[in-house]
Amino acid sequence: MSSSDIFDVLNIQRTGSPGSSGATPAPSRTPKAQVSGMQRELYNLLGDNTPPVAIQKSTKFKDKLRAMAKPSPWTFAEFQPSPHVKLQHWVKGSKELVGQQPQTNTFGKYNTELTIPTFTKEEYDSFMGSTHEQIGSEKWEYSEIEGLFNLCRKYDLRWFVIQDRYEGKGGRTLEDIKEIFYYVCHQYFLMKSPDNPLVPSLNFSKEKEVERKKYLQRLLSRSAAEIAEEEALIVESKKFEMAAKRTSSERDSLLRLLDSPNADKPIGQFLTSQGMTQLYNSLLSDKSKKRKHDQVVPENPWMKQQQQFAQQKQQMQQLHDQKVSSSSNSNNNSNSNSNSQNAVKKTKKQKQEMQIAVKRKADSEYAEQLLKSFTADERKSMGVQLHGEKLPSGAYLRSTRISTFKAATQGKIATTLQELGLPARPAMPTYEVIRYHEALLSRINNLLDLKKQVDKLEAERDIKN
Amino acid sequence: MGPLPVKRIKTLSVARPILYGNTAKKMGDVKPPNAPVEHSHMWTIFVKGPNGEDLSDIIKSVTFKLHETYPTPTRVVEAPPFELTETGWGEFEINVKIHFSDVAGEKPISFYHHLRLHKYHNSSAANGVKSEGDLESTQVEATYYDEVVFNEPNEDFFKILMSKPGYILRSNKTDDIVFSKQLESEEIDRIKIGLQKVDDEIDILKTKLSGFVKT
Repeated sequence: MSSSDIFDVLNIQRTGSPGSSGATPAPSRTPKAQVSGMQRELYNLLGDNTPPVAIQKSTKFKDKLRAMAKPSPWTFAEFQPSPHVKLQHWVKGSKELVGQQPQTNTFGKYNTELTIPTFTKEEYDSFMGSTHEQIGSEKWEYSEIEGLFNLCRKYDLRWFVIQDRYEGKGGRTLEDIKEIFYYVCHQYFLMKSPDNPLVPSLNFSKEKEVERKKYLQRLLSRSAAEIAEEEALIVESKKFEMAAKRTSSERDSLLRLLDSPNADKPIGQFLTSQGMTQLYNSLLSDKSKKRKHDQVVPENPWMKQQQQFAQQKQQMQQLHDQKVSSSSNSNNNSNSNSNSQNAVKKTKKQKQEMQIAVKRKADSEYAEQLLKSFTADERKSMGVQLHGEKLPSGAYLRSTRISTFKAATQGKIATTLQELGLPARPAMPTYEVIRYHEALLSRINNLLDLKKQVDKLEAERDIKN
Repeated sequence: MGPLPVKRIKTLSVARPILYGNTAKKMGDVKPPNAPVEHSHMWTIFVKGPNGEDLSDIIKSVTFKLHETYPTPTRVVEAPPFELTETGWGEFEINVKIHFSDVAGEKPISFYHHLRLHKYHNSSAANGVKSEGDLESTQVEATYYDEVVFNEPNEDFFKILMSKPGYILRSNKTDDIVFSKQLESEEIDRIKIGLQKVDDEIDILKTKLSGFVKT
């Protein structure tokens, strides 16, 4: 459908139709762009009444700056960073505000100086006095010390610069210089004011410093291969950890199999983390008594550190908790509230259990009532049984309810049964037979477990020997 | 299923022994007229009580699903005796589905029976699963004992179960009735021996193990 059709329908005579308008050229035709789809339909409907101005997206320019405010005044003012120098810099504010007098430097306050003691030769000799021999093996002359202290004052204890500018005896290392400086300071303060809190901190250990630097040196000069090796070692040690954990858990199960006295104790005391570590330690010591070679497994220093961190964190957490609980009573109250709620819940659960138990009892009493007239023998021959348990109701073949095990175990159990000359399915799956059969199956399962453990230990021993 | 008497007797179960299996006999020259020529055996699959009872008090119908090559392989036996006689030449698994009587309101139970036409001398006696009538050399029998356990039966069905005496096992085994109290106690004894052996072995392993752990 085009616009001409609509115009026809509406009986509108168009001036710009191709027939009548030979005189007026259609300038709008020419720039018509190729359009399609909905847009084309739209243009068809519009006909020649296209808007006079082509609306096109124009590239947008940045908005003109429309600053309404007056520019703030800045002044090129003079200032005096030190008594000897005068400089100029730009300062915000008009000339009247800033004033004429040269400003002091705002950063002047950071220009501090260390208080490094000064002393004369006599003083030096007096407080160094008898201890001359203690500083290394060589003697430090007052002149050298004086030069050093001057350098320290000049370069604000920037040791590398001081060493660079050092003019004393040759061959002094950075540590030598530091040591003598701190030692002299220490002695000086000891004489001048022994109560000065600074005194204990003026304690410089040259050996430690040298060692530290050597260590860093070593650490930074590792080759790529060494780094890789180290990482590999860490991975290896983690593997060891895992293996140790596994063996320890296996040992635990072993101990349980052996009816170790540990297994019989109530576990309540081990439920807290503290109890757990206690148990772990006791197990560990127990084992080390029994099996010396358990100690072969090396400890991973990283893991140890991590444990320490974890412990510290826990302690802090506990402290925090204590604080919180002691500081706010309301918290305590809410806690006790939740506790009581818990108790309510518990009792509810208990109630439910009680109800279930009562119901079951009633059920079994009812069943008992039904069987009142039968003797035990009669019941047996009738196949009636009061099992008193909650079992899914329905009919089934008894032989289909023989326990099954994991596929691997099932196969082994079957072979064991064969070795014993017994069928996998009893010929007469009566209640009694199945009961014995089940007992047998579970015993065989135990046996297989034990066998596995023994085999493993045997293999372990063979490897060790 | 219609509305069921849903009141079940909790914490109570009733077990009924059943026998299932098949007998087979090699056919001589005398063959049923409709039997295909390649069929060499005539067999009967059955579900019955331990003393040959028909079990009609608890079972409504039994469906035997035969090999697909038989015409209409699904055979429903709706009246006692619950057995099916056919001819054939090969052994296969037969699916047996027992539908219980309407009063019981129980879902059907289903199991497989391997149709036996030939004797296996090596396995039969050893594992004790099969009992074969050795009276006639041509007769083969494979019978299995099992018990249907009705756990928590509804009251109506319970009455039925209790009104008729349960299928009481014979005390001694005879040639034609093998499954008896005697066989049961024999089996229990066998299992007890097995238990003893296993326990002995466990003890040996335990001492071994404690030896390992201590050293």
